Amino acid sequence: MAKEKGHPKRGISVYSYQALLGKTMTLDDAFREMYDCGATCFELLTSYIEGYPNPSPAWVDHYWMLCDKYQLQPAELGHWAENHLHRGPGASDEEMVEQLKQDFRLANLLGFKTLRTKITCLNDLCDPEPGWQSYIEKALPWAEKYDVRMQNEVHRPTTLHTPHIREEYMAFIDRTKTKHFGFNVDFGTFQFKPADNDPMAAMWGFDDISKPEEIVEFLPYCWTCHAKFTNMDENFEETTIPYREIIGLMVDNGWSGNLLSEYEGPLAFGAINDPKAAMDLIPDQLRRHHIMLHNILGY
Amino acid sequence: MLEFQPVQQRGFHNTCDENGNVNGFEFDFATPYYKGLWLTQCRFGNVIVDGETFDRDSLAFVYNGFDYSREELFDTKIYWQFREPITIRVSKPGGLALGYHDVTFQFGWVLNYNGAPEKEPDGSGLGNAQFMFGTDFSRRMLLAR
Repeated sequence: MAKEKGHPKRGISVYSYQALLGKTMTLDDAFREMYDCGATCFELLTSYIEGYPNPSPAWVDHYWMLCDKYQLQPAELGHWAENHLHRGPGASDEEMVEQLKQDFRLANLLGFKTLRTKITCLNDLCDPEPGWQSYIEKALPWAEKYDVRMQNEVHRPTTLHTPHIREEYMAFIDRTKTKHFGFNVDFGTFQFKPADNDPMAAMWGFDDISKPEEIVEFLPYCWTCHAKFTNMDENFEETTIPYREIIGLMVDNGWSGNLLSEYEGPLAFGAINDPKAAMDLIPDQLRRHHIMLHNILGY
Repeated sequence: MLEFQPVQQRGFHNTCDENGNVNGFEFDFATPYYKGLWLTQCRFGNVIVDGETFDRDSLAFVYNGFDYSREELFDTKIYWQFREPITIRVSKPGGLALGYHDVTFQFGWVLNYNGAPEKEPDGSGLGNAQFMFGTDFSRRMLLAR
């Protein structure tokens, strides 16, 4: 029997606007933009919480007003599990659990059910620093208490077949049987060519990338994915990532999570050199991306 | 709202002591990164103006109204808010001449992902994020006060 089709929610990561935030755009402006795109959910990074890690009650009230006014549901809070915030050797498990608990509480306060948890790693493939299982496992009861799911981001140049994905993260899920740890598959892992004029494109090659069909096995452990994109053309198609194939597989396999647009094209870090272009093109790229998602999903 | 470049021209001026004598200059700096940072993970370097170097341990870093030395920052529990500048105050009797100056500030931080661990875990280096942004942030700025 065919599986019931999935119904992913269209959303946006506020990270997409990072080059403009605090320069020509406020958080209020970002909410307005997301509404205009037709998004229904969003990601914040902890850094975008004014006064992090202790936002004022006035800020929290304003945040909920924005969610209400622009009809946007909190989807994912992007945060970090950082072992090296101080000089000397890394943090103890107890310090790491405190760091994680602080963000779990904030996520709970702000309505986020999923987290993109960046675990400290050792190289650009994001092989995790040994010992991560210990503090993440100790944090699981707190994730349960605060009703959040940590998700390791599978981010280019990491692929879905990079050894640590299966040997470490999937093995951890298998052993602990936890429902509070999984994956945010960033679609950049499927990117097969660079966007034109992308200053970051040369950092990693395109020889070893994830194949769209690899995502199917991971869908039961994904609640939110980053719909990464680098170049939307004027026909509302992404030119560097096989979107229709990926989303088709997700929908056909019954995935109904949060699909968050994440712009990381040439102007994501190039805005310093061309502010005018960034101000015009970044919001335009997001709008194009949501027209594409609307065309693919039918809503 | 900030200017696009990490080294901010807004806030660039000479400073005076309590008697009104010009004793140095200051400017604002904001990280080029997309997120805030704990001040303990930051690695602040020297200021270089028109080729003259001002050592990192002679600088005052002003955040939220408090002055810190580079060393004192390692003992703080302060999150450097996203898009909040830090003010760098430089001691120089007589200050800078009015006019254009080439200002460089050396800055790095300890990134906990996407790269190799910091080579100098005693905090003496400029962190491990050089591969993304370099460490020397320069701007030609006009001093008018």
